[in-house]
Amino acid sequence: MLADTWYLFGKYMRITIRMPWWSLFTLLQPLIWLVIFGQLFKNMSQLPGFPTGSYVDFFVPGVLIMTVLFGSSWSGVSLLREITAGAVDKMLVAPVSRVAIVLSRVLHSAVQVLVQTLIILAVALGLGAATSVNPLYIAMAMLIIFLLGVGFAALSNGFAILLQREEPLVMIGNLMTLPLMFFSTALMPKNFMPEWIHYVALVNPINYAVEAVRAVLVGTPDFALYSKGLLVLAIFAAATLAWAVNAFNSLRD
Amino acid sequence: MIQVSGLTKIFSSGTKALDELDLNVKDGEIFALLGPNGAGKTTTIRILSTLSGFDSGQIIVAGHDVDLNPEKVREAIGVVAQQTGIDYFLTGRENLVLQGHMYRMKKADIQARVTELAQYFELEDSLDRLVATYSGGMRRKLDIATALIHRPTLVFLDEPTLGLDIKSRKNLWAYVEKMNRELGLTILLTTHYLEEADKLAQRVAIINAGKIRITGTPDELKNTIHGDAVVLSFEQQDHATAAFAYTMKSEPEIKDTLWQGNKLHLYVANGAESIPKIALVASQQGLTIKSLALSRPTLDDVFLKYTGSSLTEAKEDTGDEWWKQWAGKGGGNWNKKWANEAEESTGETETTVQETQQHMTTTNDTEKDEGTQPPATPATETPAKSGGAAPWSPEEMEAWWKQQGGQPQWPTESGGAPNTTKDPGKKD
Repeated sequence: MLADTWYLFGKYMRITIRMPWWSLFTLLQPLIWLVIFGQLFKNMSQLPGFPTGSYVDFFVPGVLIMTVLFGSSWSGVSLLREITAGAVDKMLVAPVSRVAIVLSRVLHSAVQVLVQTLIILAVALGLGAATSVNPLYIAMAMLIIFLLGVGFAALSNGFAILLQREEPLVMIGNLMTLPLMFFSTALMPKNFMPEWIHYVALVNPINYAVEAVRAVLVGTPDFALYSKGLLVLAIFAAATLAWAVNAFNSLRD
Repeated sequence: MIQVSGLTKIFSSGTKALDELDLNVKDGEIFALLGPNGAGKTTTIRILSTLSGFDSGQIIVAGHDVDLNPEKVREAIGVVAQQTGIDYFLTGRENLVLQGHMYRMKKADIQARVTELAQYFELEDSLDRLVATYSGGMRRKLDIATALIHRPTLVFLDEPTLGLDIKSRKNLWAYVEKMNRELGLTILLTTHYLEEADKLAQRVAIINAGKIRITGTPDELKNTIHGDAVVLSFEQQDHATAAFAYTMKSEPEIKDTLWQGNKLHLYVANGAESIPKIALVASQQGLTIKSLALSRPTLDDVFLKYTGSSLTEAKEDTGDEWWKQWAGKGGGNWNKKWANEAEESTGETETTVQETQQHMTTTNDTEKDEGTQPPATPATETPAKSGGAAPWSPEEMEAWWKQQGGQPQWPTESGGAPNTTKDPGKKD
């Protein structure tokens, strides 16, 4: 299974590297958000109780997580494309591990968003964000991002198999992404939110991801908060992955 | 190599795709499943290659039970599906190597096999180019090469020449024969080209509405049509021609009549004796015969005998592409229709193939236009050779005949019973 995953993962990486423009293109959206939100909410940091000195410092973890969401929700679309092209059938008539087919796609997507978030982080630092440059803390943040990428790519693949159509898949992706962002501390600190959103945020994996990334990258590191996020995201990634594999298996009797 | 008995497959939509299908493919033969779109060809291949489940029946492929031992079956078979499944952004070599890994082959073995296959399919020069730069025929060849990487003993080819131009098609036929002859591969191919089955297959099974109608060598099948075929074409093709065709139909000596493009086929016990009479009736009705030929029945005739009447009943094969079921019964069939139309435009240089397709598509069109009035303009695929007024298509003739209150009867298996599905409005 691991060897199958490795070879398939290699195939997807190779294809991605051959189309670098596409990967860069998906970076545009988070970049625009970084600039626009940074400007739009600039003055919010002057409000009493705002946790960081400048809004951009606060927003960097949020924009990193956004990059993950936009990047990994494409994974299901490309699965549908592979199904239509007959590539999935070609794998299925071979004695290749079924788990590897899903796993390789999800891993590829997660690695892809990992690279994208690193680029965004570099841009943010270039724009003067005062986030941590300690390689250990960045690696810790990237672990969170990787797990979240796995989780959302798995969700995207699972929904792709269930819906079997691109249009509703993209719709669901959009429908999920924005509210989940707003129901987290990506854009707004917790003490600025109405209380009921606190409860929604409690079951929102994105909130845990944003908090954990912020815990290591912004201000003094908070390892308790980070560990909590790491645990939640590990469970989230494992559960969504199991669900996607199951969806894939059940459909191909 | 393949033993199938009582195979039944019912789609979730309730459509019975395969109905107690029996099939037996011998070691080392090229076996063709010949049938119209939606007959169940692809479904059969998908089940035999472990891609789809089935409701009842027993299937042994390459000595293993498909249901109990799918892994063993997968190792023994190579599958070339209608969609190529090769990656356009990888090179030919990368596609082959990846496929080798999918079958858990050793690295050195893969290298050797890639070289061997590239040579065999004459792809050496383009092996390190992206597949996106390949021609349709090259992609097909690469697709077949990837299916052979693990040295299977049995290969499934699902509509292998669909969408290829005539030259690539002939080229591919040569490869299929070569693979069978030199590598000793058993090949099960599906096709809706009569010529392809006739040319390639040692045995042919005609499949329609999920059932095998008849199996045999092409010659055996041709022998099931007794007597001769008299093939006529006329200077004009209009209501007079239609009236003549329907007169012939009611003639007891004529067993069957059918239109294929602009040619009228009359099946008679003794062609030589019937020709004078046929010619006489034609001239009495004021028709000028342009050509008249007496021939032994071809596989075309066999196909029409066994599927002709029920071609209109052919079940829609919505399960072919399971992911399209979401959209109801649409997707798959439309794709196939487009594919057919695309091929039509490539068939110009070779009349037999073109006519075959023409026949099959026009029959499908009849199904769709059921009950409508004759179109104001003739169908575009009817060759307008005679100058003057454009010739009528078989559909137009049929529609005209209906308007006249005639009772058209189409060739059926028993030769007599009228085909009720032709009645307009019956389907709704």
